[in-house]
Amino acid sequence: MSAKGCYHLQVFKEDNTNLDSFKWIHAVFVVADTTRSRETKICNAYCRTCRKRGPFLHACLECVHFGCHKHIREHMKYQKHTISLDLVYGQIHCSCCDDYVYDAEIDEITMENKMRSVTFKKRLFDWTSWDATEDERNQLHHGTKRICITQESTIGLRGLSNMGNTCYMNCIVQALMHTPLLRDYFLTENHKCNGVPGTCLVCEVSKLFQEFYRGARVPLALGELLHLIWIHARHLAGHKQQDAHEFFIATLNILHKHCLDTMPKHNSVIKTEEMKCPCIIDKIFTGRLQSDLVCQKCNGVSTKIDPIWDFSLDLGPMTLGGRQPLSLHECLERFTRPEHLGDKDMILCSNCESYQKTTKQFTMKTLPIVVSIHLKRFQHMVKVDKISTAISFPEMLDMTPFMSRSKKESPFPLDNRYSLFAVVNHVGTSIDSGHYTAYVRQQCDYWYKCDDHVITRANLKEVLESEGYLLFYHKHLLGYE
Amino acid sequence: MPHEYDSKVNLHLDINHGLDRVTELVQTRLIESGWRDQVRLACRKAITESGDKHVPSVDDLVTQVTPKARAMVPDAVKRELLHELELILMNVDKAGYSKSF
Repeated sequence: MSAKGCYHLQVFKEDNTNLDSFKWIHAVFVVADTTRSRETKICNAYCRTCRKRGPFLHACLECVHFGCHKHIREHMKYQKHTISLDLVYGQIHCSCCDDYVYDAEIDEITMENKMRSVTFKKRLFDWTSWDATEDERNQLHHGTKRICITQESTIGLRGLSNMGNTCYMNCIVQALMHTPLLRDYFLTENHKCNGVPGTCLVCEVSKLFQEFYRGARVPLALGELLHLIWIHARHLAGHKQQDAHEFFIATLNILHKHCLDTMPKHNSVIKTEEMKCPCIIDKIFTGRLQSDLVCQKCNGVSTKIDPIWDFSLDLGPMTLGGRQPLSLHECLERFTRPEHLGDKDMILCSNCESYQKTTKQFTMKTLPIVVSIHLKRFQHMVKVDKISTAISFPEMLDMTPFMSRSKKESPFPLDNRYSLFAVVNHVGTSIDSGHYTAYVRQQCDYWYKCDDHVITRANLKEVLESEGYLLFYHKHLLGYE
Repeated sequence: MPHEYDSKVNLHLDINHGLDRVTELVQTRLIESGWRDQVRLACRKAITESGDKHVPSVDDLVTQVTPKARAMVPDAVKRELLHELELILMNVDKAGYSKSF
């Protein structure tokens, strides 16, 4: 870095007394570390025009004058002074250039002042870069065990043995293991269990993450995991083929329950946030679905909000229009469009207190971090046949059109883009037979096909052209809570 | 700021590092709550909206973004700051009260 300030600053620097006074002002008013300088700062650091302490107090470096953001500019203009110093962060302002300037020499002086300070002031170091010294660089190179991840690295990929029709489990496990936030949670060992060892599914998943990212390449057999799930979800037990979606929901259910059971009880947390469960599963997978019932007579709206773990989307021909949806976007549009409830389903309107015809509409109140989409290829009620219609789905999905409209709009548009990170496919003609495989994304851009113990490299095109049964999207930009 | 009281408060702020602590506290909370990132986004938006020909200076940005940024300060941060200031002013006559953040 060899930033050189503007011409005006260069002229200012030529005079050594100027530099000395800059150094002194910076030490006393910006760093303000010793008792003396604190005293001086508190007694003198206020705007000479409006007598306030801010906002954004500056000191003129060409005479003794302090001013807030507005008044220092007026002072500089009126007195024809050029260089001033902001006292919050210690930046130099040049009024001829009408902007803040950077200069390597000035930076060196301010750094020296900052480093001499006894107490650490975060605001002063927020904008400084860290240049590692020779010693530190050596430490980084030799002091730790490093794994270099390249395009060829297979870390995080592990085949899973099929223990007799257990591909429905293998594909879901692959998807879970490659959920970025879930991986971060478990690899940083955030699950503190105080349950009975060997009974907690969360601990089992935690162990599994360690196995996956250990670097070993032998396929794993998930006997214990399967056993635990069979114990807690009896309907999945047995050696028959199961529905991967059902397995996914059951797994989330059990994980969620075990999270709560084994978590240390903080009564205060539960009391203040009744709606929100603090467990990792809810944090990642739970969104809130808003359903609005609009009475056709009085237009009164009654709103209900329910938690939602996944979107199950219909693929059959629509009742009106009669066309089958062809893309994920169309499916979601259909899911969130207002639907007229028939004469049989008259609903008591709380507004006009009578049974009326109503329309019902689903929208997303809040979106989960992972949006899991279930394309209903198997319709149990009508027939067991599989709907093999091609449904195109994008790599980047924008969920904004499906959100609830609210009066309190935030001043900035929210980023609701989601990127695809796992796809589960079903090969075969019915729910009771066939085979499940999964595509997973690893290291941001690389796709792999997981077919039980065989893992092969895939590409995005192949993934997007696959049939798709369960689609997993991860929020692209994470917000704050 | 009335002058006489001012010096008393000043002395107090000095002895107990009150000024420093309050500044740092507000700074930390604003970063934690995501306010800073939102303001950064607003600045970025202001720059892109002003087009290629005119790049706004820091002062332009300050005047443009400040009203929005002020409105975005989370209520919880304001409340906490108010509480801290109250605490400082209530203890104005004592020399060595301490409270760790």
